[in-house]
Amino acid sequence: MNDARTLSARDHLIGAALCVGYLLLLIATASDLAMSRDESFYVHAAKSSASWITQVFTDPSSAFERESIDRAWRYNWEHPAWMKLSFAWSWIGHKQLGLFPNESLAFRFPGMLSAGLLLWLIYAWGASVMRREGALFAALAFASMPRVFYHSHLACFDIPIAFFVTLTAYAYWRLLADYRWMPWLGLSFGLALATKHNSWILPGIFLIHFIWIRIDQRRAGRSDRASIAWLPSMLLIGPLVLIATWPWLWHDTGRRLLAYVTFHLRHVHYTYQYLGINYFEPPLPISVPFVMTLFTVSLSVLALSLLGLYDRRATLRPPWLTQANAATNRRTEVLWLGCMLAPLVLIALPSSPIFGGTKHWLTAYPFLALLAAWGFLAVVERAELSFWLGRRWPSWAFALLCLLPGSVETAHSHPFGLSHYTAVAGGVPGAADLGMNRQFWGFTTGSLADWIAEKLPNGGSVWTCDTTHGAWAMMQRDGLIPPNIRASASMAAADLVLVHHEPHFAEVDYQAWVAFGSVQPVYVLRYDGVPIISVYENPRAAGR
Amino acid sequence: MIRAATPSDESWEAAAAFVRARYRSSDRIVAAPAWVDPIVRSQLGDLLSLRMAAPPDPAGIERVWELSIRGASSRDEPAVLEQDFDGVRVRLWSTPSDELIYDFVDEIAAAEVELVDANGSRICPWRAAQQARGGLETGPMTPRERFVCDARRPWLWVGATVLSDLELQARRCIWQHPAGPGPVRVTFADVPLGDRILVRGGIDYQAERRRVHAPVTLRVWINERLAAELVHQDGDGWAGLEIDTREAGSEPATVRFETTADNPDAGLFCWSASSVRGRKPMVDAERRLDGATHE
Repeated sequence: MNDARTLSARDHLIGAALCVGYLLLLIATASDLAMSRDESFYVHAAKSSASWITQVFTDPSSAFERESIDRAWRYNWEHPAWMKLSFAWSWIGHKQLGLFPNESLAFRFPGMLSAGLLLWLIYAWGASVMRREGALFAALAFASMPRVFYHSHLACFDIPIAFFVTLTAYAYWRLLADYRWMPWLGLSFGLALATKHNSWILPGIFLIHFIWIRIDQRRAGRSDRASIAWLPSMLLIGPLVLIATWPWLWHDTGRRLLAYVTFHLRHVHYTYQYLGINYFEPPLPISVPFVMTLFTVSLSVLALSLLGLYDRRATLRPPWLTQANAATNRRTEVLWLGCMLAPLVLIALPSSPIFGGTKHWLTAYPFLALLAAWGFLAVVERAELSFWLGRRWPSWAFALLCLLPGSVETAHSHPFGLSHYTAVAGGVPGAADLGMNRQFWGFTTGSLADWIAEKLPNGGSVWTCDTTHGAWAMMQRDGLIPPNIRASASMAAADLVLVHHEPHFAEVDYQAWVAFGSVQPVYVLRYDGVPIISVYENPRAAGR
Repeated sequence: MIRAATPSDESWEAAAAFVRARYRSSDRIVAAPAWVDPIVRSQLGDLLSLRMAAPPDPAGIERVWELSIRGASSRDEPAVLEQDFDGVRVRLWSTPSDELIYDFVDEIAAAEVELVDANGSRICPWRAAQQARGGLETGPMTPRERFVCDARRPWLWVGATVLSDLELQARRCIWQHPAGPGPVRVTFADVPLGDRILVRGGIDYQAERRRVHAPVTLRVWINERLAAELVHQDGDGWAGLEIDTREAGSEPATVRFETTADNPDAGLFCWSASSVRGRKPMVDAERRLDGATHE
């Protein structure tokens, strides 16, 4: 059942170029983004992991004792270890060899590398089933999604899990035609499990797809039907990789695994503003992931993905419509559609914990981009663009035209990635009018760094609101904030107070009014005219 | 297209200068849409008292200024004045409301506070004390000076602060967390009375939104007579009542406020009261203020 084109060295050269090019772009723009709230937690966890790794080499006999493992891995036990280990190794490398210009980049590099590798993978998978222009379009469409660009910078798990989910789906797809992929499928699924819990849904998606193609094959009367060998590969090797890479599970394995699963099934609800309502308990409206996708992904890519689905509708036909002796294949589009829809539907379920941020369904977007590529190729072929003047440039020009909105929006979104909304929402002010979430994680403090340094030339203190003290310390180590400007635990004692604008932070705004006896911010950081952070100045400090 | 139109700094500054030149202390300034409020406060916040920025009731507000962009509006009635500053529209309404003759929140330092329990009554001293650190889900900020009733129960203080109510609106008020069935008692002497006392109360957004806590009762005594009882249930939001004081005589009165709760857990209760003399029927004035403070 090999219905794919074999990739050439040229394909991998293009994929590698995409990977390296994106990586360089991310590195070049990373210093504009202060460390986000969650990153600061993962950095702390990675440092803890790094000390354990060091112990493994310096004192291996005690490193594997429960006490050592618990001490190193108890912090942030609710997330698996693979990316934290990657951050730790990168940081160790930086400390030993001075690999990066600053410390935050050392932690962020593995996530950035995942983003680059994901572009390579999107291109490779696309090039396996469609013309190279389409594959390249898919990779660039994904890369130029504003929220993808923001998250690709971070020492977090959201882009890495998008990579490992896509890699696992790719390995499953390859395994359907080539049994040699069996161990690679198990390994990639294991790494997905070891990255983030988004991976849990993959066997279910694959099972639906597998049943689909088996019925398809049976009705077509084919004898060489697809094997279910993929399932034991995932279910046996996957958990082994999860446990092998996560020392926390090496003792008291069953209880800790159960605690990990339970933590995410009963996850706390974040407060999230959506269409003017501040949600803090389920159900979140079913429309959230779909409307947020509409408001944050460029319209040209969304339109092309719908067109792609329409164009490939024959391959999406239900299996019960398959005729005897009909040609069958791996139904790649069915798999892509499943991988795209599942994360969106899961978040949309009324019983799901409130998350809200697009990062929670980023795993859908590589497949959205691949389906958009089919739409792009459909237009190119139907309009016979390649035949104009006997040249190929009209196709490339059309590709650039379709990628332009996303690229421009992405460039404009930086460094306010999570505050950015596309023209469909009316831009940032339009989204504010609609009452959409403006930000989270406190990373926008980075955009105030120069102003704060100028405001406090002799040092001072800042109450940092949603920016953790760990993130503040990283800004100091990176040289963005002078070391003599410290993060204050007390609002009333601080020289400056920051308030990140989200509706439920209103109480913090009012606290500052009482603390300083004034409702007047000394500065309001704005993005496209929309307030992002208000800064209040302590009147005692102002008089100094 | 991406840079959807929002006014320049120069437009905001010109609009603010226009308002500043005509501002009176009984004016309220509002923003439309609400998300530009920080920008408006950065321009004109120095003019605003905490009462005007976080009005507990409409008393004392004679005019309302609105600075708006993108066609947003906080009220429908025609304005008495309107001017555009390249994208920032300034409008003014005359909203004569009750005359404020005594703001209990402003006078809290002059009150007497006592905690009553099974062991009797004890005075809570007014003192400068360390302020709370601040932050999400920590409740209203403690003022620098306040009545401290029990050092072991840091939430058991009485003082002026600003509450984030169930609608996330700012409300200047007196924090008076109930201690239990025994009352926390705040007594004001020599209160000038007008036509009515407007009483409002609410619980902090983070506590009230879950609607799982016990009710809080606020009793108001005027010259040792029970004048009103406000039972605040979770979900009521910022709500209250009016006490007719026309028959209480023209002499200054002693007014006492007591909070109780069978279960005081998370009773992050804050109240306000204004002694007012009516200029217009209250219903109209309330409607005007509501129009001015909500989108």
